[in-house]
Amino acid sequence: MVLENQYPPYLEWLFSAGVSPGAFWIWLITMTGVILGGLLIAWVFSSIRYGPMKAGDLIFRTLVGLVGDLTHTSPRRVFALARLAVQESIRRRVLAAFIVFIVILLFAGWFLNPGTTDPAELYLSFVLTATTYLILFMALVLSSFSLPSDIQNKTIYTIVTKPVRPTEVVLGRAVGFSAVGTGLLALMGLFSYFFVVRTLDHTHELTADDLAPRAAGPGGVARPGLEGDTGFTRNHRHHIVLDENGHGYTEPSQDHFHEVTATTRDGQTEYRIGPALNQLKARVPLYGKLSFLDRGGRTTDKGINVGNEWGYRSYIEGGSQAAAIWRFSGLSAAEFPEGINLDMTLRVFRTFKGDVEKGISGSITLRNPQNPKVSYLLRNFVCKEFSIDRQNIPLKFKDKDKEVDLFRDVVSDDGQLDVIIGCLERAQFFGMARPDLYLFKREGTPWVNFVKGYVAIWLQMVLITTFGVMWSTFLNGPIAMLATVGTMVGGYFVGFLESLATNQAFGGGPLEATYRIVTQSNLMSELEKNVTTITAIWADKLLRIPLWIMAKLLPDLSSLSDVDYVADGYNIPLDVLSIHATMSLGFLVPVLILGFLFFKMREVAR
Amino acid sequence: MNRRSFIRKVIYILCIGLLLIPLSYYSQPASVGAANQAVGAGKLAQLREKYKISEASLGEVDPAGETIKLATLGLRGVAVVMLWEKAKTSQMKEDWDGLQATLDQLTKLEPHFLTFWRHQAWNVSYNISVEWDDYHDRYRWVKEGIKLLLQGRRYNDHEPLLIYDIGWTTAQKMGTADEKVQYRRLFREDDDPEFPNHRLRPQNRRDNWLVGQEYYNEAVRLVEDRDASIHRMNPLVFYSEPAMCQIDYAIALEEDGVFEEKAKVGWMEADEYWTKYGAREMRSTIGIQYRLNDKEELEEKIAETATELEAMAPDLRKTISDERLAKLPAEEREVLEAPPDRRDPWRAFGIMMKLNVNHRDFAERITGPQHDKAIELADEVTRMQQLAELINHEREVVNFAYWRLRCRAEKTDAALEARRLLYVGKGLYENAQFEEARENYENAFSEWRKVVDEFPAMVDDTIGGTSLEEAVKGYVDVLKQLDEPFPKNFPIKDVVAAMLRRSSLPIPPEFLQDAVGTELGNPPAPPIRGLDMKDGGNKEAGEKEAEAKGPDSKEPAGKEPSKDDDKQPEAKSEASKDQAEASKENPAEGQKPEADSAKKPEGDEKAE
Repeated sequence: MVLENQYPPYLEWLFSAGVSPGAFWIWLITMTGVILGGLLIAWVFSSIRYGPMKAGDLIFRTLVGLVGDLTHTSPRRVFALARLAVQESIRRRVLAAFIVFIVILLFAGWFLNPGTTDPAELYLSFVLTATTYLILFMALVLSSFSLPSDIQNKTIYTIVTKPVRPTEVVLGRAVGFSAVGTGLLALMGLFSYFFVVRTLDHTHELTADDLAPRAAGPGGVARPGLEGDTGFTRNHRHHIVLDENGHGYTEPSQDHFHEVTATTRDGQTEYRIGPALNQLKARVPLYGKLSFLDRGGRTTDKGINVGNEWGYRSYIEGGSQAAAIWRFSGLSAAEFPEGINLDMTLRVFRTFKGDVEKGISGSITLRNPQNPKVSYLLRNFVCKEFSIDRQNIPLKFKDKDKEVDLFRDVVSDDGQLDVIIGCLERAQFFGMARPDLYLFKREGTPWVNFVKGYVAIWLQMVLITTFGVMWSTFLNGPIAMLATVGTMVGGYFVGFLESLATNQAFGGGPLEATYRIVTQSNLMSELEKNVTTITAIWADKLLRIPLWIMAKLLPDLSSLSDVDYVADGYNIPLDVLSIHATMSLGFLVPVLILGFLFFKMREVAR
Repeated sequence: MNRRSFIRKVIYILCIGLLLIPLSYYSQPASVGAANQAVGAGKLAQLREKYKISEASLGEVDPAGETIKLATLGLRGVAVVMLWEKAKTSQMKEDWDGLQATLDQLTKLEPHFLTFWRHQAWNVSYNISVEWDDYHDRYRWVKEGIKLLLQGRRYNDHEPLLIYDIGWTTAQKMGTADEKVQYRRLFREDDDPEFPNHRLRPQNRRDNWLVGQEYYNEAVRLVEDRDASIHRMNPLVFYSEPAMCQIDYAIALEEDGVFEEKAKVGWMEADEYWTKYGAREMRSTIGIQYRLNDKEELEEKIAETATELEAMAPDLRKTISDERLAKLPAEEREVLEAPPDRRDPWRAFGIMMKLNVNHRDFAERITGPQHDKAIELADEVTRMQQLAELINHEREVVNFAYWRLRCRAEKTDAALEARRLLYVGKGLYENAQFEEARENYENAFSEWRKVVDEFPAMVDDTIGGTSLEEAVKGYVDVLKQLDEPFPKNFPIKDVVAAMLRRSSLPIPPEFLQDAVGTELGNPPAPPIRGLDMKDGGNKEAGEKEAEAKGPDSKEPAGKEPSKDDDKQPEAKSEASKDQAEASKENPAEGQKPEADSAKKPEGDEKAE
């Protein structure tokens, strides 16, 4: 699985992530800066209008009022207003979104090819992505238009004339719309799960004619049972080896397998292939920390770049001292009573073709981090690409006639283990990133993982709803929607905004890029120096400041998505989910406070 | 009031009914005439057919695609751009399922965009396949590209280039990749139901080259029968592919160790295909029609006509040339009269061109009753020369003469036997049976001698291809194992010498020096045109004769000693043989030091 954003454990992330001070402290500093900056700007503008003393007084009173509102917010009134928002949503036929979703599911089969190498991944990513887009669109429309239309229709007076605080009005809307979204999301999740399970369900045909006695083993030793191939369904078939009773399991294909049973009726043997097994997965991995040795055996942070555009993986050279070392922590014999399964998804890069029929060989060596001079060769292997290559580390194994006990000799006292991968063939390379090798802890429950994936979508929905409500407190409907769309788009492209702000993007900033588009010049070519280009480059330098601020203030929505975990069949770690929830909360609080302030400033709320 | 309203509604309905009549007439399905053209009523259907814009006329209608296009609410362009970007990102991040899903979506959104099918199918077959290390996976992705094209063909049944690409990927990708042995084997064994008709083919037709040929033929039929466009593709290349597939098939058979009848039939069919290809009437980019086979006949006619024209005033050409020479400024005359080593060759060439008398100039000077006839003949010979020049140029695009000669040579029993012996010899060498290997190699080269004798042009051409060079190298390897020198009586010494001159033989020349030294030491002098160059028409056509006969040849340049390209270098071959004989008689002469041989060309030039 590709993990471009890798998080440390929750508490480490929150308070101290290595050299950086921790997310909470960064948040606190940013909030303080934003509040102080906001107060300063408010004071400057108010001073122009009312004079400095009056402005200060106004700001002070607003803050005191805000604190009063916040401390006196009644959950009962918020709940009542939320209920109103739910009723309003239903009145505005929000269920149409659900109907659209059902229609999409009904016709999804037309556009999805079940013959891919991993159809479960395709179907899961489809339903999760479709749900995300639909629910965010719904949240956007509901939240942006509600308050402005109430204000425009004067129906807001039926609320503000009641003893409710502005904070309760804003919070009530946000909670109400989020509740509607939650209900819809739950329905969508339920239908999606059944859609995926039903669509992936299949079996194959198998008749006695498809089977033949097994070929003799090494040395001509006869082997009992039958073997053959199943029928071709959904662009795949399985090879099967059955025992003498006609029972067995198919070999995996498209990342699943089937159980085969045989029944004899009137002297005729009928074979039955059961449903697809292990199609939906939620592997629980234990990731290690990756470091490298270069060809001279010196420790480095990265391996070699073999010229790939995507620098996610580093490569080690074969036939040299280069190696990739994963250090795992927290291992105990109790957790792995039957040995450790090692899952690998390495890449191969050949500098010459060599023997096309043969794969590239590598070695797995185990080392005790406390005693790095002693290492044990577990085995050599032939690299398999783009599929999980599972290697078992038994509790006891032999290295050069020496009996090695995994937990006594190799795993250190504090539960650490080094796994060293080397490439054995000269001038050939293995490529790897940190998640490309992990220890398989156990198989999680796929439906629980599916729910976790929906929780991540829910977090995005709540964020967008809150942003929509905030913008709608002082903008009219369409403009509020545009602002929310802008927040969404910006949120999904935070990484790009940051690369623009830090001048890392190819083709320069917005104006330089425009110039290049108009003049059809290459992203990499050097610009000729003239007035236009110099002006564009300088203007881009100025634009970097607001871009940088935007990149820091907008929520990184793309990082909140956990679609890849679910689709690739990996358990979403609770740490990751907690980090996402905390990140969302970190945005929700200031956005709601902003919403209270803006709404409080409106005449209707006074 | 109600009555007026009722009348108004009736009028509306009548108007609608009236409008429906012409609409109905124009919307009728078009009848199909004899030439497959829409005729009769149904103007709209005819127009759709004419401009090929209706979904049905483009190919199969895909309801899913139509639905998804409607669902984009007019934002199809935006969706397409986003999906292309997504496909590119998926490819970069090696998310192959994501890429495939994105391509599936794109097929729905732009089913009639030819470039999409061609580009992405190529991308999948050529770029994605090589990202995988296991050749089984590579093969699967090559096939995925082909499947994409097959899908595209369903929606675009008027596009021969899609079918051409299916043929290309099946033939070329599977047949020439580094993994060709594995690909060809997997292709033969493949029973993927999504690969149409493949399971129905008999085993002996399950060859990638033959299947590729089937698709190429289908593309050609589409152009011929339905007047489909091959867009900007060169027709020379387009029509050559079925024949090239047959040639490659025959080569592949021999590489797989299949000889005798099957290989012979393979080469005979290749010859037939190539001859048929040469007889196809094609149109050049400027609209001139020609046939590649016509060159020899045309050159005969040119020679005849030029001779007839020349006979009208035998000394006139020289007279005109002399007149022009006399009128040259003194400075230019000096350039011409200067000794060759002090002459500016390019300037001299420019002046020579001024002296050159073309046929029209020649005919204009003929007076009397023969004038009109002379003009007619001059124009005729000029037109034929231009056509011959064009054909010659077009031939070079597809290496026409080379393949024709190869097809003719390879189908002979001697060539087939030579190939078989080389194959066996290589196997014996790999089994360390060096004596037997040498015997096979030597017998093979003796057989190849017969082929060279029958087709002398093969001496200095690359007809044997790299396989022959490899064979010589293999033979040298055997000799090295036996610790023996290269034999002086090697049967195809002249061919090896030519290989050494081309530097295409991967053997140190020193090893062969003793045996083929004469050929090495005396490469044929480069051709130099005589100063009395005539406007003999097709210069290119006459080049080989000029080379063979030397600058003193007085024959019109368009006239060949042989009617066939294949025979052209016979004279040179004979000369080489003479030289070889001479070196046999006088070995010392055959081993002249390099310094001598280096000086030789200069001496030759002076002599000329």
